[in-house]
Amino acid sequence: MTLHLLPIRHHGPGSARSVLTALEALAPATLLVEGPPDADPLIPFLAHQGTVPPVAVLAHVHLSPEQSVFYPLAGFSPEWVAIRWALERGVPVGFMDLPAAVTLAQEPSPLASQGPLPEVEGQAPAEPPATDAEAAPNPVRADPLALLAQAAGYSDFERWWDALVESRGEGIFGAVNEVMAALREEDEGHTSERDLLREAQMREIIRAALKRVGQTGGDVAVVCGAWHAPALTPEMLEREKKADPVRLKGLPKVKTSLTVTPWTHGRLTQASGYGAGITSPGWYAHLFRTTAHVSESWLTRSARLLREKGLDASSAQVIDATRLADALAALRGRSLAGLDELTDATQAVFAWDSDTPLRLLSEQLFVGEVLGSVPAEVPAVPLAQDLAATLKTLRLKQEATIREISLDLREDAGLNKSQLFHRLNLLGIPWARESYASGTGTFKEEWTLRWEPEYAVRLIEASRFGNTLVRAANTAAISRARRADLAELSKLLEVTRLSGLPDAARFTLQKLDERAASADTPALLDALPPLARLARYGDVRSREGDDPRPVFRTLTARAAAGLPNAAHALKDDAAQDLQKQVAEADRAVRLLDDAEATAEWVLALHALDAEGTAPLLRGDVVARLRDRSLLDDDTVRGRLGAALAPGQDVPTVAAWLDGFLGEGGVTLLHDSAALGLLDDWVVALDEEQFGEVLPALRRSLSRISPPERRRLGEDLRGLERETASAEVNEELGMLAVAIGLRMLGVGE
Amino acid sequence: MTQKTVQTTDATQPEVLRQHAEQQYAHELAALAEADSHPRPPRWNLSPRAVLTYLLGGMAGDTEITPKYVGERRLMEIAVATLATDRALLLIGVPGTAKSWVSEHLAAAISGDSTLLVQGTAGTDEQAIRYGWNYARLLAEGPSEAALVESPVMHAMREGKIARLEELTRVQSDVQDTLITVLSEKTLPVPELNTEVQAVRGFNLIATANNRDKGVNELSSALKRRFNTVVLPVPDSLEDELSIVIRRVDALGRSLGLPEVPPALDELRRVVTVFRELRSGVTEDGKTKLKSPSGSLSVAEAISVAVGGLTLAAHFGDGELTSRDIAASLVGAVVKDPVQDQQVWNEYLETAIKKREGWKEFYLACREVS
Repeated sequence: MTLHLLPIRHHGPGSARSVLTALEALAPATLLVEGPPDADPLIPFLAHQGTVPPVAVLAHVHLSPEQSVFYPLAGFSPEWVAIRWALERGVPVGFMDLPAAVTLAQEPSPLASQGPLPEVEGQAPAEPPATDAEAAPNPVRADPLALLAQAAGYSDFERWWDALVESRGEGIFGAVNEVMAALREEDEGHTSERDLLREAQMREIIRAALKRVGQTGGDVAVVCGAWHAPALTPEMLEREKKADPVRLKGLPKVKTSLTVTPWTHGRLTQASGYGAGITSPGWYAHLFRTTAHVSESWLTRSARLLREKGLDASSAQVIDATRLADALAALRGRSLAGLDELTDATQAVFAWDSDTPLRLLSEQLFVGEVLGSVPAEVPAVPLAQDLAATLKTLRLKQEATIREISLDLREDAGLNKSQLFHRLNLLGIPWARESYASGTGTFKEEWTLRWEPEYAVRLIEASRFGNTLVRAANTAAISRARRADLAELSKLLEVTRLSGLPDAARFTLQKLDERAASADTPALLDALPPLARLARYGDVRSREGDDPRPVFRTLTARAAAGLPNAAHALKDDAAQDLQKQVAEADRAVRLLDDAEATAEWVLALHALDAEGTAPLLRGDVVARLRDRSLLDDDTVRGRLGAALAPGQDVPTVAAWLDGFLGEGGVTLLHDSAALGLLDDWVVALDEEQFGEVLPALRRSLSRISPPERRRLGEDLRGLERETASAEVNEELGMLAVAIGLRMLGVGE
Repeated sequence: MTQKTVQTTDATQPEVLRQHAEQQYAHELAALAEADSHPRPPRWNLSPRAVLTYLLGGMAGDTEITPKYVGERRLMEIAVATLATDRALLLIGVPGTAKSWVSEHLAAAISGDSTLLVQGTAGTDEQAIRYGWNYARLLAEGPSEAALVESPVMHAMREGKIARLEELTRVQSDVQDTLITVLSEKTLPVPELNTEVQAVRGFNLIATANNRDKGVNELSSALKRRFNTVVLPVPDSLEDELSIVIRRVDALGRSLGLPEVPPALDELRRVVTVFRELRSGVTEDGKTKLKSPSGSLSVAEAISVAVGGLTLAAHFGDGELTSRDIAASLVGAVVKDPVQDQQVWNEYLETAIKKREGWKEFYLACREVS
């Protein structure tokens, strides 16, 4: 009956291989792996055919899935390798650590502690956990291992460990244990309160296991994070025998649900916010799979991937890159080329002067993106549970047949359903599709519902974004916003508003502000309407500092600055597009009615009213400025005269008129003063001039629909009558006055 | 054409406007060679590690080595490691990122000779890279070794030294391709004499190229793959860049014999800030995105703006560097294209500079000149 400690580095492929060799040699009767013991019932699922790593054991507070803890396992994680080994041989295997029920009870509510980026649920089976925020001031206490690595000449701890453990191969466990013991002896304070508790629990479980195998006389193997090893030795087991149960007594617990979910390599990276995350899961997977010629095969894979993407990458270059990587390793005093050297060599040999190749390699090679899978028998993911609960509240059913519903957004039920549909769409689950709602008003929505079986899978995929619909949709929107260009961002902004996702809306808004500098004017103009709607109708305003108005102002200012240039020398169709955008933006500016933005915008409109602007836009702008009473009638008359002056080519004049008259002649129909101006100008033309202008006039006016043209004609005649009656014939007038007075009953 | 640069007479001669790196830093190189215990590749004066120390600064015995390159250590490691393999090194970067500077110092440290230099221009011909003839001799004696005029590249091959080729992308493609044999076969055939010059160990080539020249004379892929590339970026942090500017402005001012003007740190910081912000397209606080003008806005240009300002202040001003002195040359450096850049500059002034604390005077000075 012996205790074998196998101190490992979480997700270290070298550790995984060493663990496997050690297990083969030791053939223990029982295996213990660092992890929450309340997940023991899930262990059989890990051996299931349908379980493909990466997966994660997920524990969350019952009925409140956003408070959760993940324990990710990749194919190259030592824990995974050990568990699989044991299950294949029928060796009993169990987790040893604090139960998730205790961990979750100690966690402050993640919702409260997290900002707008709900990415960081990952509470690792924590690696050297000395990075306690409270201990931060003293770097030695905060991260002793990093300092040790620095002393050894490595830029960070990971590299150092790579070089020592991953590159040196087997038989390292004893040495690791000693190093850790030495480190811990330096200062007991390196280990946090929480870790002391965890180690006490580990010792308790080991004691129980030893007792169990005691009768049969087999060995117990323990796979744990290197940091904990010195605390789990037989001496420590003996020494702390009395103290441990006391430490563990009366720890608070919560009710939890546990499950296994598919995981991705991307979520194993540090960038995803995972505590024990690694820089390059792809590299580790490679190290795990490849035992010989590591650099060569890594670079060959790089070259093949680049070739697939249509970039030059020859075998000769692979050879060169390998030699450069080796030379670099020698220069940096390392015995083997690591990821650093390989990346540098790849950059120098394959990339020429662009960063495209490395970017292309990033996802497929460095992250090595893989989605794990779990069998259907595993309990459902929290996101699915949340959806089920939501559907129940909203009295909706997932049906495979088509169903149409219409929603009234003024009611809570309607609004909630609409937000649910929008959120699901954001998550790539197009269960409900919006169809065109007839009738006026913005409070009505029509949706077509149809549930497809594959949405269940997509739901599981979407669960990587978060455990509740709100959080998942938020994260999905945010991650989309990270990559989006301006046009997409403004659409996304609309979606986040409709989905009721203030966090994502805020983030999108911020991105929109950032992207604005590099965007061209049309894109900026397009961004204004959704922004104005958000500012006007969204609930984002309710929080401090989230006011979209400043962003709206900046965007307006930027658009205004670029507008005169953008309107210069345009082709007809481009001018038409821009006119529509200007119209929409104008409407947005009016909708928001913000003094500063309006001032900028008006300045831009004035700037557009200049020689060189596309005639369509110039006419349009003159009408807009007149409408805002910013151009007086004389000026407008002058503009009309100049624009329609005889001797210009017909299309130019017609385009100007099109702009001035507005879509379908709205300006003329609704604004008799404008009509009067045009009329005045036409009347003032002499016969010859009129003959020249006529084709253009006719062309523009013919775009107005016949009934409305007719109305215009009548209006014009009315105008004439007004003008005619203005010449007063007093004699004739006097005749009518008497009758009029009589009718009014005056002076009888 | 070939610049078989006049073998400069005496290292101590102070009248030379600019000394070669190996002369100016002779004492550092000597100290490094003495303290160097690591193995040296054939015909290298220093071990790769000592070369790194020479470039990045440090100590050699008791001698302090000044840093020649301020920036990422990684890049210099790649450069030195490349030269230790048989691949040639290509330094790429926007103008003013110290490409030639690094190449000169690398050659000086490795071969003790930075003068084996071919300046690439649109008119550089094959002779400049391979060899030419002394025509008088050729006519008198016929083709012979004596009539052959070696190019710096050929000389470097014979001696096992580092050759330098500046502005490789300015050279026409067919001329560039003469390098292929040199770099792959490590030999230079001389068919006229039915002989060849084979490179001895220690030979390598450092070329520099400008990525603003992209597409002018694109390197053939055959040639491309004989180079390892190192892209030299613009300095990372404001402080790095500021220290480069201050150091160079000081040195330049002294060598130009400018009257002493106290270097106004605030104004220099402003120049560097403006350059950095416009170059990166975002303000230093990361809050406002900006458009970038068409020029490259290199550190070298920042230095010349500062020197220009100092000159103005010294000769025409009241002997103190003010915003007005700076503004005049700054606007000229930023606005290279009168239409596009002007718009960018105005937008920058209005969105970023106008409201910035303590920049009012600078803003007004810039408004005045733009």
